[in-house]
Amino acid sequence: MKYILLMLGTKAGVQGYHTWPKQEIDAHMAILQRINKDLTASGEFVATQGLADPHEAKVVRGEKNGVPVTDGIFPESKEFLLGYWIVDVASAERAYAIAAQISSAAGPGGRPTNMPIEVRQFVSHERKAQ
Amino acid sequence: MKYILMMTGKKSDFEGYAKWSKEDLQANVTFMRAFSKELKDSGVFVSTEGLGWPSEAKLVRAGKNGEPITDGVFPESKEFLAGYWIIDVESAEQAYRVAARASQAPGPGGKPGNMPIEVRPVLSGHADLGL
Repeated sequence: MKYILLMLGTKAGVQGYHTWPKQEIDAHMAILQRINKDLTASGEFVATQGLADPHEAKVVRGEKNGVPVTDGIFPESKEFLLGYWIVDVASAERAYAIAAQISSAAGPGGRPTNMPIEVRQFVSHERKAQ
Repeated sequence: MKYILMMTGKKSDFEGYAKWSKEDLQANVTFMRAFSKELKDSGVFVSTEGLGWPSEAKLVRAGKNGEPITDGVFPESKEFLAGYWIIDVESAEQAYRVAARASQAPGPGGKPGNMPIEVRPVLSGHADLGL
């Protein structure tokens, strides 16, 4: 079963991340790299992607006179997608365990970030075909 | 440059969608299939996925010993990702044009839904993540 693990954060959270010392960012990334390697080795890895900074985000709603209507103003509380992992696992519990590994990656001072990771199922192709 | 186009909605939006008539749903699905085909034919398509319903969503945090602590309660205002497309285009403007087209997918009564589509650049390369 395929699941997507979504890492979400507010603009304030992203700004906080940018203030981490370089060695803490490197240590954090090293843990994420190891998780990716482990998932690749176990055959559960499907894809991962990081998204650019929220200040580059736009919302598009239809078009006016053939030009897309864009807006770049978001409420402070808006959760932005920061990145995701897609995994193909045997059970929801396994997806939750991987999400917990990501959540426990070290942050400032080497402490786990305990960042919430949203776990969602994909619509299966059988359901799509209906 | 790669961009992700995201459709999001609150639980109430998903519940509203579930109440659309069969004809309206069919028209929307037909549009989405034609849209994906257009993206493929024009060579900008990278991937697309639809996500399961918010009622199946869980928020996971690591517990003291790294064990998963799951929570399935979300605020009413929470925006859930419903699905996305990743496209590879020449410019942000081209990504916005594609998003505008997706936004005009037919809604109830066949009228353009004008659904908001969030457009974000994705980070290039996976070197950072050791892949």
